[in-house]
Amino acid sequence: MKNLKRILCLALCLMLTLACVPAMAAGSTKIGVLVADATGAEALAFRAYYEKYIANAYDVEFIYSEELNTADGEKNAIDNFIVNNCKAIISFSSVDRPAQIEQCDAAGIYYAVATGTLTDEEYEEFKDYEYYVGAIGPSLNTEFQVGYDMAAYYIDQGMTKFGIFGGAVPYRTDMHIYRAASMLSAMIDKGGEGAAYQGVTDPGAVIGMIYGSGSIETGKIGNLELAAYVGGYDFDDAWFGKLAQMAGTEGIEAILTVGSGVDVLGSFVAGSSVKLATVDSFTSAMGEAMNSGIIDYVAGKFATSIGPIFVATLNAVNGQPIRNEEGYALALDQGYWVAANAEQFAQYYAVDSSEENPAYSKDILDAYAPAGVSYEDFAAFVAQYSFDEIVALKK
Amino acid sequence: MGKQTWKERVPAFASVLGLLVLIAAYYIVGAVRDANVAYGLKAIVNQSVVVALVATGAVFIYTLGSFDISLGAATGVSALLGAMAYNATGSLAVMFLVCVGVAVALGFINSSLASIFNLPIFVTTVAMMSVLSAFMLILIGWNGAGDTIKVKGRDMRPLDNIPFKVVILVLYIALCWFVFTLLPTGREAKFIGGNPVCARLSGINEKKLGIIASLISAVGIGLGAFLTIIYAPTLTKDTASSIGMDVIIAIVFGGMPVSGGPRSRILSAVVGAFSMGFMTQIMSMLNLGSGYGQMIKAAIFLLVVFIALGSQRGKLLTR
Repeated sequence: MKNLKRILCLALCLMLTLACVPAMAAGSTKIGVLVADATGAEALAFRAYYEKYIANAYDVEFIYSEELNTADGEKNAIDNFIVNNCKAIISFSSVDRPAQIEQCDAAGIYYAVATGTLTDEEYEEFKDYEYYVGAIGPSLNTEFQVGYDMAAYYIDQGMTKFGIFGGAVPYRTDMHIYRAASMLSAMIDKGGEGAAYQGVTDPGAVIGMIYGSGSIETGKIGNLELAAYVGGYDFDDAWFGKLAQMAGTEGIEAILTVGSGVDVLGSFVAGSSVKLATVDSFTSAMGEAMNSGIIDYVAGKFATSIGPIFVATLNAVNGQPIRNEEGYALALDQGYWVAANAEQFAQYYAVDSSEENPAYSKDILDAYAPAGVSYEDFAAFVAQYSFDEIVALKK
Repeated sequence: MGKQTWKERVPAFASVLGLLVLIAAYYIVGAVRDANVAYGLKAIVNQSVVVALVATGAVFIYTLGSFDISLGAATGVSALLGAMAYNATGSLAVMFLVCVGVAVALGFINSSLASIFNLPIFVTTVAMMSVLSAFMLILIGWNGAGDTIKVKGRDMRPLDNIPFKVVILVLYIALCWFVFTLLPTGREAKFIGGNPVCARLSGINEKKLGIIASLISAVGIGLGAFLTIIYAPTLTKDTASSIGMDVIIAIVFGGMPVSGGPRSRILSAVVGAFSMGFMTQIMSMLNLGSGYGQMIKAAIFLLVVFIALGSQRGKLLTR
């Protein structure tokens, strides 16, 4: 009897607790957000923009998934969003994008890709799906350019000895391979006569070699030198040892990283004269690293860069999806902001992180991406993603 | 010893009552939140069926007073090899046979090692977990297509439906119930779990029971791997990584003591797995952040275990 009473008591408490929980805002459009990273600085910055600015500015409610790293996790999360009557899903998770699109299409809810793109083959397959909104993010050409510009910046300063951190190159991750290959391409182009990587000069061939081996070979590239390379995210003693060795390589002037530069190399270069460059994001932690001199160059995603894909998704939910003249979904390129000193970083970060008037504010989004906007006008708006262009749009 | 009164039977049904309460709470919350309750039931089945399968088989191992920490890794390896077999042959039958066959082989290796070296099963499973996790990385590397192994989703779609999964689950539960309840195997396993010394002195071969338990559990792992591929045809190194912990939670949530013994029940695993599924959906409908959701789940878990074990306090301790 005692245990039965306990069970009934538990049941009653549970139901009473549930009844006391405030109901969600009636009438709000619910949008599910799939995330691969729930705790990183970049992920938190994206979430803050959506939850603290966009949700207040528009009548929407965002429901976030847990951190996802498997395809069944993504599927479960989408199912949960459907149960919660979400009208659309914005995805930052890319384990199995085709399955995500198919699942959303079958359920009749809109699906959009933020800060990423589909492959050409995937786009061809899904471009005319009714519920596929599209993707806005860095194309592989943009990924190539960001690495090229990073390497060129230091070569043009007269530096000749470099290290490269390849990140997910061993796992054949496209964006990291393109970034790393472009760094080598910059060295080939600026390395003088006869400069080549492993005997090749064509960027496509360099990319192919990296895909094949999953690694990068050190050595001379003309009058430049790739003195050290570390790839992967092993996070074991041997891996940390290699990173320390790279940072301590005699004569090394700059280490170019395809990502996570501060996290993996910050402690090893702190206090040294080695310049550290990274592709990352505009967050307060990155600002601190710039101020302290740990990081010298950042090509970063800015938190409000996910504004355009949100407004495109909302337009679709409201019955006015943005399609090109053939009726195909969005496939728009959006690049990075580049800060090469602490002052520049601080200026960019202040605009991006503002809770009252961020880079992509409601005024900007409503002015340049209203309901019924044409594909061409929207594409032209998204293409103006640099800091200076966005500031000009605000005026 | 007299017949049990209904008061003494209640703790035995605490887990089932808990499931009924969660189902009621699910419908109440769903109504309040204007959620898609019907779709949610489908999601609960999809999210719970693999854990239910693996946990049902694992009951045999837990009944012996042991546990297997390599369940997730074994499921992952079986799924990866099954997917590779499908890509090589295009045959769902081959994929099924590879999934179950690999799982059975791994179960046999686990139990044989324990038998040869005279170690508890859980010790060999600790080693196997590391080996299998590393093997998953090797398999993905061999596949040479980035960090995933994919099977065409369209090919799996005909089987990705609730009736098929429920049939698989029911058939496996029926098999396990038959072996556990009607054959001497179950009684002997409970005896070993309750008092291994007396069981040994009574002539029960603990090593033989360990091998049988591992093989039965392995069939559940193989079925779970097969359904994992069907549900999510893109597999990574993290596929099925959470199953080991989910199985332990499901079994305990279902009212079975982790120490095994005579109070072990086959249906504990299913009750626990679906209880977890309903609880997850309730948290989702309440839009609780993952942190709050996990804390509430943990609190309810502790409460259920407290209630389920309540009748044992103050009496002679069983193992």
